Amino acid sequence: MTKKLKNYVGGRWVTPSTTAYTPVYNPATCEVLAETPESTYDDVNDAVKAAVAGFEEWRTTPILNRSQYMYRLKTLLEGRFEELSKMIVLENGKTMDEARGEVRRGIESVDFAAGVPLLMRTDGLEDISSGIDELTLRQPAGVFAAITPFNFPMMVPLWFLPTAIVCGNTFIVKPSPQTPISMELMFEILDELDLPPGVVNLVHGGTDASMAVMQHPDVTGVSFVGSSPVARIVYETCTKHGKRVQAQGGAKNYIAVMPDANIEASVKNILGAAYGCSGQRCLAAAVAVGVGDAYDLLKDELAKQASKLRVGYGLDEATQMGTVVSHAAKERIESIITAGIEGGAVPILDGRGLEVEGFSDGSFVGPTILADVTPDNIAVKDEIFGPVLALMKADSFDEAIEIINKSRYGNAASIFTSSGRYARDFKYRVNAGNIGINIGVAAPSASFPFGGQKESFFGDLHGQGMDSIEFYTERKIIIERWT
Amino acid sequence: MTRLNSFGSVMSYVIELETRLTSYYQAIGNADRATSADKRRIKLERIRRENVVEITLEPIDGLDEADFPFNWEDASDAGQTAVEAAFVQFYSAIAPKINVLTAQRALERCGQEHQAS
Repeated sequence: MTKKLKNYVGGRWVTPSTTAYTPVYNPATCEVLAETPESTYDDVNDAVKAAVAGFEEWRTTPILNRSQYMYRLKTLLEGRFEELSKMIVLENGKTMDEARGEVRRGIESVDFAAGVPLLMRTDGLEDISSGIDELTLRQPAGVFAAITPFNFPMMVPLWFLPTAIVCGNTFIVKPSPQTPISMELMFEILDELDLPPGVVNLVHGGTDASMAVMQHPDVTGVSFVGSSPVARIVYETCTKHGKRVQAQGGAKNYIAVMPDANIEASVKNILGAAYGCSGQRCLAAAVAVGVGDAYDLLKDELAKQASKLRVGYGLDEATQMGTVVSHAAKERIESIITAGIEGGAVPILDGRGLEVEGFSDGSFVGPTILADVTPDNIAVKDEIFGPVLALMKADSFDEAIEIINKSRYGNAASIFTSSGRYARDFKYRVNAGNIGINIGVAAPSASFPFGGQKESFFGDLHGQGMDSIEFYTERKIIIERWT
Repeated sequence: MTRLNSFGSVMSYVIELETRLTSYYQAIGNADRATSADKRRIKLERIRRENVVEITLEPIDGLDEADFPFNWEDASDAGQTAVEAAFVQFYSAIAPKINVLTAQRALERCGQEHQAS
């Protein structure tokens, strides 16, 4: 019998009130791995009540004790590292290396959270007037929640939860219904920490559960990662209900390749950026702009290297690219490739209809390269979120910058060059939150905020880094006189 | 078709080899060398876990496990020497292919241990 997932509320596993469940598939084998509940408002309300009840005890727990939990969490995560990685492969379809990389980056966020006591310290000033001192305090702000996506089912919740709770808040995670099992494992581990009841809570579900989180009066703030249209809805809903919100949306990330770049080495890295996680990440390279003579060289080298990528089941260590997340995603991606070709793009490598031996029902889309695309082509305009790289030609560096800055997204952009001048100009002029210089996936480490501009981010304070301390705390100014 | 085409596949393969070497020496009754091989396995598992860098996961090419044969059947002194020599050769081939410095150093160190044994 297929396992029915439970929610984790107030320090124990509970069966939600709903009777509606959604199957969770292995996208390579189509095996049903579990069924996830479509939690209702009442289920969310139970979690919020538990988080509210747990807040007072937790905020008075000394911060050094709160941070100690992170060391124990890290130890437990390291101990189950391979198990966690395999689960990500099973429910998401990425490769083992990618899954291990995801867990590693999740643990980096736990490392960061262990340092929160240092980062929460504040400042003060004596004698702002005769005998009057003034200082700032940072206090936890209450109950926070994260609504997280399918593409990084372990890492993204860990961007938020560890820092939020060490700051003294209580927390609710609402994972993607497509990939909820990684969080189930995560909460098994959190359960071993013996945190006070209500500090961490897990509520499975889809839109109804998300709306309940966003509208609940006792939730202080929401962290979200997903597509831009949904990020906008999350931002608008949360702000309407008086919450602080950080909503990371979609992307269309550009890579500029200059004629002075080492093409072979650049393409090796661009492959990881375009096809890593089957292109299903918000930092995936979606459009490569070859400048001048670089265009033809780039096109040829990309075709040569990408055609050698081995697509298959993620649990096979030799697999270099896994599946996309579902049949629906495969159909959507393939239809965009078709529309892109009909719109004039030239398919240098076509991943449609790929069959992998032994996995006839798997959601595989092969690496795809669409050359000579124009700015109005759907492959350039829309976020595909699949293993599709569009190639555009620019006659000059300035034209490349112009092309990149016309995008309505602003998550990331990279340049491959051996020129310091181009590199400097690129990071100075390009309107994107994360800039890569000779690196295709410009992913900030845990101590830096995860950037994002334009339609790639809605809010003020980003996830990770000092922004996360600001987001998860309330500043209070104390002015005192004793004389 | 080679399976040595990524950071994880190379590391997992060398972990398998050191596991096999542990069994090889246990069967011969050489406890010291079996212990050394098992320590390397544990270290390599940690290296694989701690040094996978998501943003620089790049394909590895030019390695084929078929180029590095190990004769596990020969338990003679000469056979043991040959197995150790094969490890030295293997580690010296894979270390430069890994683009994470800490992992590269660990693999070189493993090769040096085999050289010294």
